[in-house]
Amino acid sequence: MSRISEHPILGPTETGPKVTFFMDNQPMSGYAGEPIAVALKAAGVMIHRYTQKAHEPRGIFCAIGRCTDCVMIVDGIPNVRTCITPLVAGMKIQTQDGVTPLEVSQ
Amino acid sequence: MKRYDLIIVGAGPSGLSAAIEAAKCGMSVAVFDENAKPGGQLFKQIHKFFGSKEHQAKIRGYKIGETLLSQADEAGVQVFLNATVAGIYLDKEVLVQLNGAMEHFKADTIIVATGAAENMVTFAGWTLPGVIGAGAAQTMMNLYGIQPGQRVLMLGSGNVGLVVSFQLMQAGCDVVALVDAAPRVGGYGVHAAKIARCGVPFYLSHTITRAEGSDCVTGVEIAQVDEHFTPIPGTEKQFDVDTICLAVGLSPMSQLLKMAGCEMVDDPRRGGQVPLVAENGETSIPGIFAAGDVSGIEEASSAMIGGRMSGLAAAAYLGFLSEQDKDHRLAELEVALESLHQGMFAPGSKGKAIAKTDEGIEVSQSLLKKGYLDDADLKRFIRSNKTELTNKKSGVHPVIECTQNIPCNPCQDACAKGCIKIGKTITALPQIDEDSICTGCGMCIASCSGQAIFLVDEDYEPGYASITLPYEFLPLPQKGEVGTALSRSGQPLSTAEIIDVRNAKAFDHTALVTMKVPADQAMTARFYKS
Ligand SMILES: Cc1cc2nc3c(=O)[nH]c(=O)nc-3n(C[C@H](O)[C@H](O)[C@H](O)COP(=O)(O)OP(=O)(O)OC[C@H]3O[C@@H](n4cnc5c(N)ncnc54)[C@H](O)[C@@H]3O)c2cc1C
Ligand code: SF4
Ligand code: SF4
Ligand code: FES
Repeated sequence: MSRISEHPILGPTETGPKVTFFMDNQPMSGYAGEPIAVALKAAGVMIHRYTQKAHEPRGIFCAIGRCTDCVMIVDGIPNVRTCITPLVAGMKIQTQDGVTPLEVSQ
Repeated sequence: MKRYDLIIVGAGPSGLSAAIEAAKCGMSVAVFDENAKPGGQLFKQIHKFFGSKEHQAKIRGYKIGETLLSQADEAGVQVFLNATVAGIYLDKEVLVQLNGAMEHFKADTIIVATGAAENMVTFAGWTLPGVIGAGAAQTMMNLYGIQPGQRVLMLGSGNVGLVVSFQLMQAGCDVVALVDAAPRVGGYGVHAAKIARCGVPFYLSHTITRAEGSDCVTGVEIAQVDEHFTPIPGTEKQFDVDTICLAVGLSPMSQLLKMAGCEMVDDPRRGGQVPLVAENGETSIPGIFAAGDVSGIEEASSAMIGGRMSGLAAAAYLGFLSEQDKDHRLAELEVALESLHQGMFAPGSKGKAIAKTDEGIEVSQSLLKKGYLDDADLKRFIRSNKTELTNKKSGVHPVIECTQNIPCNPCQDACAKGCIKIGKTITALPQIDEDSICTGCGMCIASCSGQAIFLVDEDYEPGYASITLPYEFLPLPQKGEVGTALSRSGQPLSTAEIIDVRNAKAFDHTALVTMKVPADQAMTARFYKS
């Protein structure tokens, strides 16, 4: 999905500094301080987690921290709501499978 | 345990308005909001608001939010962010999750202004990534500058569905269809017309039957529904989309009030479970008030008035304001609130089919079913003795396609020449004053929250008319360029030449684009595509 470089009402989008983070070990770039989910969306990542029983994909749904569809493993901590957690340089983000973290491969 | 005279839950328009009034009366006020940023829904709203001057009409929502924040700051209100209120207990003790720890606060009065949560609907595939709430779409595009999707189908034709569809297009997304199971558009006709003329097709009496895709949304199927809202086999239509946006209503987030022991009622007209409240927001528990969407789904303008009322009532309850002053100020606010509660979209009229305006004019069925006025509706806009009414030099005159009784009147205030009359009742339809002469200044177009005003000159040049329209997209057309004139339904009509583009500061990001079209399209061409 594309970022809006200039908006007809809001003008140019203000961002923090560009930083690198890791999504399932792949380096990606985003802007520091924006929600992790926004950086992932800009990079084309739609699936944030799989449900435990039916193994169904989930992604952003409410974007305000209420539905928990967007939770992922962030720096080893599972169940982090990525839509309200700011991106920090070097963050390691992983697709979450059920409630147990996927194995972290170095 | 920290103590305050007043604790407010929720820093949306109603909570902040309450805080400002109470703090101005000398109360110590703390506001808690679970978000990292204050303002509630207001900062996602980038359109110009309805209402009249006292309701801050024609000002964009996020600007109103900025003003509220600075006023709260000036009045000495303490706003705590990332602070989720988990419970309200006996003796007005408030439990707050703050910085990862639970903290207790105590107040002598409490105002709950927690707003509303979005409703959901289910259909096959509704949990797929790519199905999102309308609020999520707004958050992504208007707060974080990212497109929620490239091709979007919107479910819901209330004001939220209509406004968010327009905002999606402003963010550069394609809205491929607007779908609603109801037989009529639920929101304001002017909001519907704004997106219809961009070419968005309306499917009323339709619903989503399934979202397609295995990992994420790749398409959607809709079908017509019968009078019991059951899909009719054989009427299915398919669209390739990557995003399905749901705008199917809001429900008050009233759990905290229930938990505190306030008497609750189930009121579908107010959106579900709501507290039993007096006019000033006081609940069944003395000293606990509710304001804004949590006590009945309305809109930001009334949420702000409701907030101010409960702020004053709380101040009077503790003796920071005399009963006499309170009554006087509440009476003023009641008048302002009452003026918003008139017209076809008044809280009591929800879902009702209204055949005629207050003026006795038939309501356009085309507007309600397809989102735009059709030729039959236009007769009353076509003037008979045009030389009398227009600017003799330029021939320009306003055409106001605002046909429902909505609480709104900035067009009247905008015209220094007195061409536009609404009168005291702000829900009355705007009328053109035939004795005033239009200078073509364009202030009415830029002030119209519904983008429903056009300037037309039938005799711009032999064989050609000029049409000036509001334009809030990028890239802005350039003077001299040639493109296509579109009808009210977004259908291409003819070649159009851009003869003027105005973008004054006073227009607040609504550019005025003037195009030259064949004379016979003066009353049909209403949009332009490069
Ligand atoms: C798309 C859209 C378009 C709209 N267009 C218009 C318009 O044109 N004109 C208009 O007047 N109105 C409009 N509205 C409606 C308007 O936004 C709402 O009616 C208004 O925001 C309600 O104000 P509020 O203060 O009651 O609630 P909100 O703005 O929802 O604020 C409530 C706040 O409380 C917080 N909160 C909730 N629970 C807790 C808790 N337990 N602890 C701490 N904090 C909590 C929430 O996070 C939120 O910040 C629109 C709404 C939407 C969604
Ligand atoms: S263009 Fe100017 S003068 Fe003409 S009706 Fe609009 S505000 Fe009035
Ligand atoms: S024409 Fe006037 S009343 Fe109608 S939407 Fe525009 S500003 Fe409001
Ligand atoms: S998308 Fe709902 S919690 Fe993040």
